[in-house]
Amino acid sequence: MRLQSTAVLAGLALAAATGGASAHHSFAMFDMEHPIEISGTVKEFKFVSPHTLLIVEVKGTDGTVKDWTLEGGAPGLLVRDGMTAKSLKPGDEIKVTINPLHSGAEGGSYQPQQVKFKDGTPVVAPK
Amino acid sequence: MLLKSMLGSIALIAALAGSAAAQQPFDQSKYPDFAGQWLRVGPLGVFDSTKPPGRGQQAPLTPEYQKIFEANLAEVAKGGFGDDPVYTCIPEGMPRAMNLVLPMEIVITPGTTYILMEYLSMLRRIYTDGRGFPSDDDPSWMGYSIGRWTDPDASGRYTALEVETRNLKNPRTFDPSGLPVHQDGQTVVRERFYLDKDNPDIMHDQITVEDHALTHPWTVLKTMKRERKPIWVESICAEGNVHVNIGGLHYMLNGEGELMPAMKDEAPPDLKHFPTKK
Repeated sequence: MRLQSTAVLAGLALAAATGGASAHHSFAMFDMEHPIEISGTVKEFKFVSPHTLLIVEVKGTDGTVKDWTLEGGAPGLLVRDGMTAKSLKPGDEIKVTINPLHSGAEGGSYQPQQVKFKDGTPVVAPK
Repeated sequence: MLLKSMLGSIALIAALAGSAAAQQPFDQSKYPDFAGQWLRVGPLGVFDSTKPPGRGQQAPLTPEYQKIFEANLAEVAKGGFGDDPVYTCIPEGMPRAMNLVLPMEIVITPGTTYILMEYLSMLRRIYTDGRGFPSDDDPSWMGYSIGRWTDPDASGRYTALEVETRNLKNPRTFDPSGLPVHQDGQTVVRERFYLDKDNPDIMHDQITVEDHALTHPWTVLKTMKRERKPIWVESICAEGNVHVNIGGLHYMLNGEGELMPAMKDEAPPDLKHFPTKK
């Protein structure tokens, strides 16, 4: 099973590029086929294991404000993508493309590269 | 003060040298250079890094376990977790831990080699002191591992670590898609860790799994790259896990710790133990 390291790495790089972006467990509860964009104010950024949580206050069309709970990658993955516990703070106004819960409840998943400040500046550099 | 410190160090060394193997001088130069941090090369969350997830893995499942896998996929398609046990913080276990969500470190000592995994703080303990498998050990998710250092070229320096792992605990799956192992817990995992001959900062782990859910042994080649100036991040699953299983259904907690449905049209949990006052 001896393989040339260059060929192995090239093949695995291709697999990584085409593979899913899911985290350690299934993200099947999130609708990956129908992403939506939400805008709001960061209420809390929990840089916790096993997955980071981004709580965003979102104002609906009727004027009511609801908290959206967004699950992201593990802290260990985000750190290596350039995102830290200090990347977002309460009060930051952001817009983010998320994969919402199938249930329709105010929850979803996020990728760090999909989080932008109100002026469009990405929170972390694109991959 | 200095004497007290020295005595403490001597006591620690004596404690560490408890096994017969540890009493021999440890010549690190006889072992391969596995130092540093090893990061996964390839996609996240798959057992065979060269293939797509789920059905794309083309796992050699028996017809019985293919049905189990398909039922799992049907539940996942509705937004459930299927048979993946990790979302409730059960450790991945072997061989799934070697999918390396997050990096690992290998610590070689005379009688035991340790693999410290960042993800979920999982620990593999591989005995290389010549012992056999115990007959009455309780199963565990990481299993009981016996290792053997090899030097096939008789170079005077070991070049590979061969490991056999048994006595594994369920529930486990190969990956987050719910690819199943057999419920009998008789999985045997055989591995060979070695550095790439062309690039010593690349490590391979050839893994062969024997399991009664498979029609034949399943062999994959894992590849890792070395980081010599690593950062490590603590990973304690209970810290912020928002996924709960109540009565076999999957729910998610919001930022306030309140229960939310995860699947479409999901019923709330049974509250029979919380009678409402009339």
